[in-house]
Amino acid sequence: MSDSALKKIAIDKINDLAAALMQKGTLIAPVREEKGSNFREIKNPQDIYLDYDNTLLSPKNIFFPQMEDFVNYQLGKDATPAKPVELNLKPAFLFGVRPCDVRSFAIMDTHFYAVGIIDPYWKARRDATTIIGYAFDLSKPADPADFYNTLGIGAADPEGSDIFMVKKDKELLLKGITPQGEALLNGLTMLAAGNAADEKYFTEYVKKGKEPRTRMMCLDDKTIAKKYEQIFENTEYWTRMADGCLSCGICTFVCPTCYCFDICDEDIFRQGARRRIWDACMFTDFTLEASGHNPRTKVYQRLRQKVCHKYSFSVRKYDVISCVGCGRCTRSCPVNIDIYSIVSEAMKA
Amino acid sequence: MSNNPYIPMPVKIDKIINEVDTNDIKTFRLTFLNKEDEEKFKYLPGQFSELSIYGKGESPIGIASSPTEPGYVEFTVQRAGAIVPGLVTASLHDLDEGAQIGLRGPLGKSWPIEFLEKKNIVVVGGGFAFTTLRSLINYMLHKDNRSRFGEITVVYGARNPGLLLYKEELAAWENRDDIKTIITVDKGNDTWKGREGFVPAVCKDVAPSPQNAVAVICGPPVMIKFTLPVFYDLKFAKENILTSLEMRMKCGIGKCGRCNVGSKYVCNDGPVFSMAELEELPRDF
Ligand SMILES: Cc1cc2nc3c(=O)[nH]c(=O)nc-3n(C[C@H](O)[C@H](O)[C@H](O)COP(=O)(O)OP(=O)(O)OC[C@H]3O[C@@H](n4cnc5c(N)ncnc54)[C@H](O)[C@@H]3O)c2cc1C
Ligand code: SF4
Ligand code: SF4
Ligand code: FES
Repeated sequence: MSDSALKKIAIDKINDLAAALMQKGTLIAPVREEKGSNFREIKNPQDIYLDYDNTLLSPKNIFFPQMEDFVNYQLGKDATPAKPVELNLKPAFLFGVRPCDVRSFAIMDTHFYAVGIIDPYWKARRDATTIIGYAFDLSKPADPADFYNTLGIGAADPEGSDIFMVKKDKELLLKGITPQGEALLNGLTMLAAGNAADEKYFTEYVKKGKEPRTRMMCLDDKTIAKKYEQIFENTEYWTRMADGCLSCGICTFVCPTCYCFDICDEDIFRQGARRRIWDACMFTDFTLEASGHNPRTKVYQRLRQKVCHKYSFSVRKYDVISCVGCGRCTRSCPVNIDIYSIVSEAMKA
Repeated sequence: MSNNPYIPMPVKIDKIINEVDTNDIKTFRLTFLNKEDEEKFKYLPGQFSELSIYGKGESPIGIASSPTEPGYVEFTVQRAGAIVPGLVTASLHDLDEGAQIGLRGPLGKSWPIEFLEKKNIVVVGGGFAFTTLRSLINYMLHKDNRSRFGEITVVYGARNPGLLLYKEELAAWENRDDIKTIITVDKGNDTWKGREGFVPAVCKDVAPSPQNAVAVICGPPVMIKFTLPVFYDLKFAKENILTSLEMRMKCGIGKCGRCNVGSKYVCNDGPVFSMAELEELPRDF
C-alpha cells in the first residue's frame, strides 16, 4: 500500500463527490431495491445507498453484462453487412465495492485476459473503470453465509482497489491505493485532507478487518484441489451434497466468479444480433450435444462440475481458488445448498 | 477492438461436394472474401474453426483440408440433430454454392506435427470423424513433407461403401506406394470388392508395430472403445496414442466454460489429446 495522503468527506456530503465523478464519467454504486441493494449506474446521487452489507447480485455485470451484443445484422433480401458492436466507453467509477468482490475481479482478470486469449469486452471495461473499494462495517456482525475469511480475504483489505474507503462515524475516509486512484483523489476539490488521527483510524481499521469475523475453516489451495481429484467419483458424497438441488442456476448468476456464457443468435423483425448471455453449468442442457449425448445428465454431476471448477480445476489451471466466500450462492439458493458446508464435508469425505 | 476473437471473417462457399449416399454429409470448400483474412488464417491439421451463420449460430467443425492446399479451407459437415434439425449444420446443408457465411479460427491445438516427425504413423478413422485425419494424411503426403515422416498406414472404415468419405482420394492413396491404405466396411454391397470387417478387428489383423510409431485414432465412441485395447495389446504406449475429443462448444477460445473437463478447456487445450493426457482428466466427457 502506498503512503498517499488520506482524504475525507462527510457522509451527508457524498452527493458532491458523486456529482464530480458523474462529471468525469459513469458512476456505478449500490442503490436500494425491493429485495436488497445492487450496483446500478447512478443518475441521481441521492440514490446511492452506502448502508448495505453486500449487494444481492455481484458487480461482475459491470464488466461482463448479463447480455451483450457482439454483432448486429439484418436478415433477408435487404441484408446489410453485419456490424460488430463497438464499445464506446467513458471512464467509469465503481463505487463502494466490498473487498471480497474486489478480489473476484482479479480472479476474473486471470481468466478473461491474463491467461490465454484476451476477451476484449472484459478487458476494455476493466481498463476504463476505477475501483473504489469499501470496507465492511466492522461494528456489525458479518452475514452468516459469508466465509471470505476462509479464502484469506479480510473485511477491510484495500488490495485490488484503486481507492479504498473506510467509514469513520459520520465521515468517509478515502485513500489512494494505486497511482491512478491517488491522482483521482487529488483532483477532487470537495474532499478535505485527513489528519493524523484519521490515518491511524484507517490503518487500524484495515488491521482489525483481518481478524476473523466470517465462517472460517483451514483451507489450502493445493490440498483441496487434490482432495476433489480423489473424491471426484465418490457418488455417495456428491449425491448427498446435491440433494434437493433444482438446477435453477441462481447460485451461478449471483456469483462474482462464475463466467460461463452462451453465444446465440436472436432476431426480431429481421433485425438480428449475435450475443452472449450468461449461462450456467447447473442447467440440464449445458453439455447436451447435437447427437443427444450429454455427459452430465445428473444433478450431482453438474453440482460437482461447479464445485470442482472453483475448488480444484481453477487451482490447477490458474493457481487460485475461484471463490471469494461472498456467500451469495448460499443466500440465494432456494433449497439452502451451502458451498461452505460442501467444501468442509469434502475434507471429511 | 481490432483482433476481436468473437467476430467471424466473411467467407464464400466456393464448392459443395456431396460425400455420401445418404446426402447428409457434405464438404464445403470456403474461400476468404478478404485477402488479409486468408493470409492470417495459418493452420495445421487437427485444428478446427467455428462456422457461423447469422441468424442461426456457430458450430465447431474440424478443418478437413490441408495447409498444403492454399487458397481455400474445407470442412466436412454432417447434418446434425438427433431429435430436431441442428440449428447450424442443417442450415448450412440448405445453402448453395456462392452463399456467404462466417468463419472464426483456426482454433485449438493441431496434431503434434513435430512429435510425429521421423515416426511411423498409423492413422485409424471411423465414420465421418475422418476429417482432420484426412487433413493430416494429405499434409504428410505432400512432396515437401513426405520425407519428414516414416511409414504411413491408414485404416479407415465406414458402415457401408456409400458412407466412405473422400472416395476419389482414397482410391488415389491406394495407388501410391508411400502409404499403406486399408479401407474396410462393416457390410459391403454388390459392387464392393474391398475388405469387410470392423475397424478394431482390421487393426488387429494389420497389427502395426509400436516401434517408433504413433497411432492417431478418431471415430465414433464405440469404435474408439474397441480399438484402444487393440493398440494397448500391440504395446503402443499411452503417450503414443492420440485422439481428438468432442465436447459441446461455444466460444472455441477457452472463455465460455462450455467445454470444460477438469483443468482443461477442450477447445483451447485440445481437442487433440494423447491417451496419457486423457487419463489425467476426470471421467466427465
Ligand atoms: C472439435 C470439434 C470438431 C468437430 N468437427 C466436426 C466435423 O468435422 N464435422 C461435423 O459434422 N461435426 C463436427 N463436430 C460436431 C459439430 O460441432 C456439431 O455436430 C454441431 O455443432 C451441431 O450444431 P447444430 O447447430 O447443427 O446443432 P444444435 O443441436 O442445434 O446445436 C446448437 C449449438 O450447440 C453446440 N453444439 C451442439 N452439439 C455440439 C457438438 N457435438 N460439439 C460441439 N458443439 C456442439 C454448437 O454451438 C451448436 O451450434 C465437431 C465438434 C467438435 C467439438
Ligand atoms: S461460489 Fe458462492 S461464495 Fe463463492 S464466490 Fe461464488 S457466490 Fe460467492
Ligand atoms: S441455487 Fe441451489 S437449487 Fe439452484 S442450482 Fe444452485 S445449488 Fe441448485
Ligand atoms: S468452447 Fe468456450 S471454453 Fe471451450
